[in-house]
Amino acid sequence: MKKRISELILIIMLMVPFNVLAGIPLDTVKTNVNSVIEAMRDPKLKGEAGKKVKEQRIVVIADKMFDFVELSKRTLGLNWNKFTPEQRKEFVALFKTILKDAYIDKITAYTDEKVNFTKETPLSETTIEVQSVVATKNAQVPIYYRVIKKDSDWKVYDVVIEGVSLISNYRTQFREILGNNPPETLLETLRKKVGKK
Amino acid sequence: MNCSELIRYWRRACFFAGSMVCLVFIISLFSGLSTVYAADPAQDSGAGVVEEQQRAEKGSGETGSDQSAAGEKPSDEYDNVTEEQVDSGEGPRIADPLEPWNRAIYYFNDKVYFWALKPAAQGYKYVLPEGIRGLVSSFYQNVRAPIRIVNNLLQGELGYAGIELAKLLINSTVGVGGLRDCATECFNIKGRDTDFGQTLGKYGMGHGFYLVWPFLGASSARDSVGWGVDWSLKPTTYLGGSEWINPENAGLYVHEAVNTTSFRIGDYEALKEAAIDPYLAIRDAYIQYREKMLK
Repeated sequence: MKKRISELILIIMLMVPFNVLAGIPLDTVKTNVNSVIEAMRDPKLKGEAGKKVKEQRIVVIADKMFDFVELSKRTLGLNWNKFTPEQRKEFVALFKTILKDAYIDKITAYTDEKVNFTKETPLSETTIEVQSVVATKNAQVPIYYRVIKKDSDWKVYDVVIEGVSLISNYRTQFREILGNNPPETLLETLRKKVGKK
Repeated sequence: MNCSELIRYWRRACFFAGSMVCLVFIISLFSGLSTVYAADPAQDSGAGVVEEQQRAEKGSGETGSDQSAAGEKPSDEYDNVTEEQVDSGEGPRIADPLEPWNRAIYYFNDKVYFWALKPAAQGYKYVLPEGIRGLVSSFYQNVRAPIRIVNNLLQGELGYAGIELAKLLINSTVGVGGLRDCATECFNIKGRDTDFGQTLGKYGMGHGFYLVWPFLGASSARDSVGWGVDWSLKPTTYLGGSEWINPENAGLYVHEAVNTTSFRIGDYEALKEAAIDPYLAIRDAYIQYREKMLK
């Protein structure tokens, strides 16, 4: 019996290194998503005040989880190069606020949906797609996170819901504005949108 | 105006709509518009690939000089980007020659949603518990089974055609006329949803161009034809008689729409809230979603 256990341990030990190398992006995303779910389920946070605390927690996690500069670059594409460094910084800040305003209500509306992380597929040398499925009562919604290796960390730069990529969707909209207008016009549009909230 | 007159008008309108679909189909066939064309890098930058590579080389050279210029800690994350760094943001595109018209219809549909569909769905949701609405949605899913069987067959997915046939048989009997998706819930049988628009896509036909229909929403020339064919494959289409569109099947369609919306109140609002230009956001989401289903 003892021998068998030690054999088992040996096998597990042998397996570990491969898993460690393969599973880091998936685990990073999973940990972040789970901490959001944990914040949502916290029974101490109720009512309006509780919702505020939840939102703050989500913002902290999102800052850790996403690379908003990378996300902005990929959304603007080569148009990014038309922006001055100051305009780039302002764009990233505005875009981040817009995404936060748009999705925070959706996230705090979370009840008891189950999130299953299924697998990860490499997209390029530095990018990987982490696939998950959110099971609601009526449907299975595939949500894929595209992550990029930054230093030693994996950061999300795109979210693909039901096959619809977030950055592609915004790129289509920004392209239309930047086609005939200078970057300042886009920034002004975004400022107005943020101001309305 | 009495009832029979109304119905006659409705039928005339439907005939008109039907002819429009055919017309659009024919136009799309001959116009040779290839729809979802691959990303065109020149359009974004006005620069060719070679220039792009030069810029890439220059960009990597600039990194060093930027660092010395800025007194603070070296941060190159706001530096220029190159084609390869950002190409993943490029999704499929669709031609939109009718944009002004489509935008007008989109505006109309937006009002239909907020003034009619949403209030109806909210009232419906208030009256009927979720369980019952779930049965209704399973029922309508089951009614669409012939669409899935035929199109899986046409696409050469014989296995899935068989699975969908089995699902239809199980759900119509054990699932009490399709009220429960017992095939999935009890036996864990997973089918494959598909439609005639995708069958056309499978055979290499492009979308033609983007098209927004009053009440029905986002579509393309190709997928409009798909709707027509799928409509004729649905058993409920023939409920009220032999006419292609009659008050009975149109009524069922509206009920299905209200029932579906009752599960999704807030989704459209969130999309609109998140978008800079909701019309473009929906157009892009539609084309991305349809492309993904083809894969």
